Amino acid sequence: MAQLGFHLPSLIAYLVNFTILLVILYLVAYKPILRVLDQRATRIKESLEQAERVQKEAAERQAAFEQQLAEARRANQAQFEEAQKRVAQYEQEQKERASKLVQEEVTRARAEIQRERDLAVEEVRAHFGELAIVAAERVVRRSLDAQAHREVINQVLQEGGAMGRRS
Amino acid sequence: MTTTGKRLFKGLFIIALVLLVVGIVIGAIGSSFTGGEPFVPKPEVSLKPEPVLNADAEHMEETHQLPSGFVVTNTLLSCWIASILLILFLWRGARSIRANQAPRGLANVVEAIIEAMFGFVEGVAGHANARKFFPLFATIFLFVLFNAWLGLLPIYPSLGALDEHGEIKRHLLRPAGTDLNMPLALALVSFVFVEFWGIRTVGLGYFGKFFQFSALLKGKLFQGFVDLFVGFLELLSELIRLVSFTFRLFGNMTAGEILLLVIGFLFPFSLGIIFFGLELFVGFVQALVFSGLTLVFVVMAVQAHEGEEKDGAH
Repeated sequence: MAQLGFHLPSLIAYLVNFTILLVILYLVAYKPILRVLDQRATRIKESLEQAERVQKEAAERQAAFEQQLAEARRANQAQFEEAQKRVAQYEQEQKERASKLVQEEVTRARAEIQRERDLAVEEVRAHFGELAIVAAERVVRRSLDAQAHREVINQVLQEGGAMGRRS
Repeated sequence: MTTTGKRLFKGLFIIALVLLVVGIVIGAIGSSFTGGEPFVPKPEVSLKPEPVLNADAEHMEETHQLPSGFVVTNTLLSCWIASILLILFLWRGARSIRANQAPRGLANVVEAIIEAMFGFVEGVAGHANARKFFPLFATIFLFVLFNAWLGLLPIYPSLGALDEHGEIKRHLLRPAGTDLNMPLALALVSFVFVEFWGIRTVGLGYFGKFFQFSALLKGKLFQGFVDLFVGFLELLSELIRLVSFTFRLFGNMTAGEILLLVIGFLFPFSLGIIFFGLELFVGFVQALVFSGLTLVFVVMAVQAHEGEEKDGAH
């Protein structure tokens, strides 16, 4: 072995050299670099997880939004139908009300006409009574011939007719 | 290919051809015909590392042995330089890495290397054990790789103590992998960590695979002797692993060094570049093999226990 160059102190020197090298490289290179690689791997993993989470949340929000949209559409449709129903009901009510008012007005007008007519008839009757009395008085005061009698009556009647037309 | 590209390619080809011809003429092959001295001196291969300090070198010249005490050899010096450069490289890279920003420049390179190595360890050892085994794997890999690649720099064969003729008699730097002590030290570290994690995971029962007496104690003689023999083979394989680890790296690194020297001697200037490329690849493969095998042996030691636990649970 000595012919090949075996030399115990040199062997020990190489062993010590390698051991020191291993320790130094571990401290100044492997440990910090692997720590950085670990940190980077963790960051990448977290970023991927976050991206996945965000994607999931976005999908959930999209689904919720679509559900809300559908519910809003349904609610809107119901409100529209309700409004249509109310409009129709209001229209019907207004029609009925107008019809009732017209009917009442017609009835009232008829009653008024009837009352006016009755009043007129009563008035005419009262005039006729007075005329009759006046005529009778004149008949009694003039008495006598039939010719004068008729003239008085006609005169009274004409006056009564003129009074009736005026009234 | 554009016209400029074609011209460039032709120019480079002609330069390479000229260098090859000149290299052959003035190199060892040409000089053997002309009788002159080759441009590159004949390489002298020494398996032993050479001391850097003059006092130690004189002792070695006299005794042909390294001094018995601590000696700063050219391989050890190269190992220290590689270690310092490795620390600086990773430290500078690690310093500017931030979790919340994209890495740039050196930090990007360092992070890519660490991430690739950690991915490899995680693939072999699993997520749970990766963090535990990674420092050892990474340090062995980078240490072997840096030492191998650093040795390819042209400064390595250029620096050294000169003799009276002005030629280098003792190199100042030599790749650490070509020193038997360096692969042996790494093999010992690998061995210790494998056994440490084996014992830590299994407990003293880890030694059960080496000393299997249960069948013998039950009176099953044949089975008992077979178990004892298998245990002996297991023990032997652990020790042989040390030897194979050591000589695989030592052999490959030394062979690569010799190959470059010989090619430089035979064909100066030109063909060496191809073998430099080859040695870059060899350095990477050897680093991966050494660190990869260590990782596999550690995982085997731990998984054997986990397998037993699962069997026990059933």
